[in-house]
Amino acid sequence: MKLYSLSVLYKGATKANLLKAAYDLSSFSFFQRSSVQEFMTFTSALIAERTSVGTRASVKEQEYLCHVYVRNDNLSAVVISDSEYPQRVCFTLLDKVLEEFSRQVDSIDWPSGNPDTVSYKGLDIHLSKYQNPREADAMTKVQAELDETKIILHNTMESLLERGEKLDDLVSKSEHLGNQSKAFYKTARKQN
Amino acid sequence: LKDVIIKPDAPSSLLLDKHADYIAAYGSKKDDYEYTLSEYLRMSGVYWGLTVMDLMDQLQRMNRQEIIDFIKACQHECGGISASIGHDPHLLYTLSAVQILCLYDSLDAIDVDKVVEYVKGLQQDDGSFAGDKWGEIDTRFSFCAVATLALLGKMDTINVDKAVEFVLSCMNFDGGFGCRPGSESHAGQIYCCTGFLSLTGQLHQLNADLLGWWLCERQLPSGGLNGRPEKLPDVCYSWWVLASLKIIGRIHWIDKAKLQRFILACQDEETGGFADRPGDMVDPFHTLFGVAGLSLLGDEAIKPVNPVLCMPEDVLQRVGLQPDLLS
Amino acid sequence: EVDVLVQRVVKDISIALKRHPNIDEIGLIQCPEARYNRSPIVLVENKLGVESWCVKFMLPYVHNKLLLYRQRKHWLDREALVDITCTLLLLNPDFTTAWNVRKELLECGALNPERDLYLSKLALTKFPKSPETWIHRRWVLQHILRQFSAVAHKTQQRVEAEQPDAERSQFLGSHLDRLIHQEMKVCSDAACRYPSNYNAWSHRIWVLQHMAKGNIKVFRDELSSVHPWVSMHVSDHSGFHYRQFLLKELLNTELSQSLSSDSASTVFCPSQHQSNTVHSTCPQANGELSLADAACRDRLTTVFKLFYQETELCADLIQSFPGHETLWSHRRHVYYLWHHW
Ligand SMILES: CC(C)=CCC/C(C)=C/CC/C(C)=C/CC/C(C)=C/COP(=O)(O)OP(=O)(O)O
Repeated sequence: MKLYSLSVLYKGATKANLLKAAYDLSSFSFFQRSSVQEFMTFTSALIAERTSVGTRASVKEQEYLCHVYVRNDNLSAVVISDSEYPQRVCFTLLDKVLEEFSRQVDSIDWPSGNPDTVSYKGLDIHLSKYQNPREADAMTKVQAELDETKIILHNTMESLLERGEKLDDLVSKSEHLGNQSKAFYKTARKQN
Repeated sequence: LKDVIIKPDAPSSLLLDKHADYIAAYGSKKDDYEYTLSEYLRMSGVYWGLTVMDLMDQLQRMNRQEIIDFIKACQHECGGISASIGHDPHLLYTLSAVQILCLYDSLDAIDVDKVVEYVKGLQQDDGSFAGDKWGEIDTRFSFCAVATLALLGKMDTINVDKAVEFVLSCMNFDGGFGCRPGSESHAGQIYCCTGFLSLTGQLHQLNADLLGWWLCERQLPSGGLNGRPEKLPDVCYSWWVLASLKIIGRIHWIDKAKLQRFILACQDEETGGFADRPGDMVDPFHTLFGVAGLSLLGDEAIKPVNPVLCMPEDVLQRVGLQPDLLS
Repeated sequence: EVDVLVQRVVKDISIALKRHPNIDEIGLIQCPEARYNRSPIVLVENKLGVESWCVKFMLPYVHNKLLLYRQRKHWLDREALVDITCTLLLLNPDFTTAWNVRKELLECGALNPERDLYLSKLALTKFPKSPETWIHRRWVLQHILRQFSAVAHKTQQRVEAEQPDAERSQFLGSHLDRLIHQEMKVCSDAACRYPSNYNAWSHRIWVLQHMAKGNIKVFRDELSSVHPWVSMHVSDHSGFHYRQFLLKELLNTELSQSLSSDSASTVFCPSQHQSNTVHSTCPQANGELSLADAACRDRLTTVFKLFYQETELCADLIQSFPGHETLWSHRRHVYYLWHHW
C-alpha cells in the first residue's frame, strides 16, 4: 500500500502547470527513481489537463491508480498510488490539500506559479502521513460527503486521449521528459 | 481488482500460420542478446517450440537432426541432461530432452539406462527428489522424475510409495500444493502434483472438489486465469490451471468461452506468438501454453494435447502411455 | 578491443564490491550510448549501477568464457572464475551453472560462504524472484550449517577429553541467530520489491524449518514482525500464507508441549477445547498436579490469544480494505485451524 506522488496544479486553458509536488519513490530501484519521478509529473499534468473543471476522476494505468480532483476554480491536485491504496482516502487527501493550499497561496499566483516560486510546504508531510491510510486523519466526516458514484473511472490512460492521439507520441514529444526517461519508458512497455 | 481489460480490437481468431512462422524463425536468431540470456534453459525452450509446432502439425519445419545431435551432446557422464552444451545436468532439462526425443520417436539417440540411473539417484530418503546433485528439493522435481520415467517405461525403478508420500505431504488445507511441505499453494506446483499423482495412479488421494474450487477461483472477469489469489492473469496459467482441472475431471467448472477470448487476445497479430497478457512481448513459452490451452478447450484446428505431459496425444499413443484422469 | 573493455569492467565490478562492502543495491542505468573516457560502472550512495549500453557486450563475453571453461576448452584460474561468475550472475542470476561453479569453489575452500550470501543478496535487489538465486542461498546456508555441526562435533569430542567449550557453542548460537536474522531481512526486502513473491516467502519458511526448528521465540517474533507488514500489503497472499504457517507451527508446539507435559497421567484432548476437559485430565490431588494444571491452562490461554488476535486482524483489515480475496482467504484459513488444531 503506497502513495508515490502528490501534486498541486493549475489547470489553464490548454496546459496544466505544476505548482508544487512531493514524491515517495523509495520503493523503486535507485537508478530508476529520476525517470519514474519525471513520468509521474508528466502523467499528473496530463490527467489534470484532460479532466473537466469541477470533477473527480480515477485513472488506472497498469498497477497504478491516479486520482485527480479539478476544482471549479481550476486548482487541481493529483495523487498517484498503487492499486491497494483505498480510493476514498485519496480523495479525502486531495480535498484537504487543495483547501490548505488555497488558504496559504494567493490565487493571483496560481496561473503563473511554479514549484520554485510557490512556498507551500504541506505536501511532503501529507504524503508521508497518509502512507498508512489507517493512521491518517479520521476521515469519517468527508466520507459521508463524498459521493463515490460521482467519481469518473478510466480503465486506462488511453481513454483520456482524443481519437487518433497516442500515448507513445505524447511521451516522445514531451519537453519535460529527458532522454533517459524516454528510454526507460520504451523498456518498461511490452514487458512483464 | 487486479485484472486486465481486453480491448475491442484485440485479436479474436487463432493466427496459426503466424505462430508457426514465429517459432520457426525464433531458433535462427542465435546470436541475439535475448537468445544468449535464455541459454540456461535452452532444452526446455526447444521442447516448448517443438511441442507447439507439433500441436499445429508443423513439426516438419524444424531441423530434426540438428536437435537430436544437440541433445546427445547435452547428456553427461552421470546420465543427466543439461539445458545446453557446457551447462550442468538437471532433472528439468532431462525431462525436456526425453519429451523432445519422444516427439521425434528417437529415444535411442541417448543412453536411456543412464538417464534412469540419474533419476533414480536423485530420490531422497523421504521420497522427494532433488533437481540435481546439489540437492534442492521441490515438487516440480518429483513431477520431472516420474514423467521422465513414465515416458521411458521405467517407473518401477524408484520407490513410488515414498515419492507419493512426499508429494501428499505438500498438500495444503485449500486442496492445493506448494513446492515443499508448508509452502503456499501455487497453480504451477498444483499442475506438477496432480500430474505426478496421475502418473503414479494416485489421483484418488486428492480432494478433487476442494482443489477444483480453488482452481476455478483463479478465473478473473477478463476470462484469464491467475496462479494465486490477487495476481494478474497470465496465459501460462491457462495451462497450469486448465490442465489440472482436466486431470481432476473438473474442466467444465470454468467459463470456457471467456478464457478462450482472453487467450486469443494475448496473440501478437504482427509478430505471431503469444504474450503473458494482451499487449506484452511474446515468447515461445507463452506460445506453447496459449496453444495447448486452446487445445484443452477443444479448438479443432489444434491437435489434442495430453493434460499431464503437455505433449500431443498421438505421440503418447505411440509411446504407449495413457495417464489416468478423474472423470 | 571489446575484450579489453569487458575485462576492465569485470575487474571494476569486482573491485567495487571488494572496496565497498556497504553496497546494498545493483541496477541498470538506461543509457543507450557509451560516453567515452568513462567507466560504465557507477557508484552512488552505496548503489552500484551499470550503464545499459555495455550489457550487450558484457553478457555474451562472460557467458562464453565460463562455458568454454566448463567444456575444458579454456583454462581460468580461481580469481578469474570468481570475477566472471560474479559479473555473469549480477546480469543473469538464473544461470544455474555459474552458481554451481561457485558451489565448487566454496566446497574446496576457495570462496567464503558469506561472500556468496552477499552476492546473491545483491542479485536479488535487481531480480527479487530469481529462483536459482534463492536455491543457491539455501545451498550456501546448508553448507554453513554443515560447517557448524562439524565444529560442534569437535567441541563435543573435546568435552569428553577436556572441559566444556561453552564459549564456542555460544559463539555458534549467536552466529546462527545473526544468520537467521539476515535471511529474514533479505526475504522481506525481496517481498517489498515484488508482490506475492513466492520464492522469497517459501525461502523464509525453509529458513525457519531448517535453521530455527523448535525455536518458539523466533516463530513468535516473526508473527509479530510481519503483522505491520501484512497490514500494509493486504493483497499479498504469500505474506498471509506465511502467517498461516507460523500460526500452525506455534499451535503444534503448544499442543505437543501440552501432550508431553501431562503424558504421564492424562490425555489432553485437543479437539474439545473446553477448559473442563483440561481440569478433568488431572485426576490426582496434590500441589504438584495443580501446577501441571496451571501450565496447561496457560498454554490454552496462549492458544486462545493467538486465535483471538488473528481473527481481530482479519476483521479489522476486511473492514478497512474491502474487496480483497487475500483477506477472506486468510480468514477462512484461520477458522480452519481453529476447527482442526
Ligand atoms: C511438462 C511441463 C509443461 C512442465 C514441466 C514441469 C515444470 C517444471 C512445471 C513448472 C510449473 C510451475 C510454473 C511452477 C511454479 C513455480 C513457481 C513457484 C513460481 C513462482 O512464481 P512467482 O515467481 O512468484 O511468479 P508469479 O508472479 O507468476 O506467481
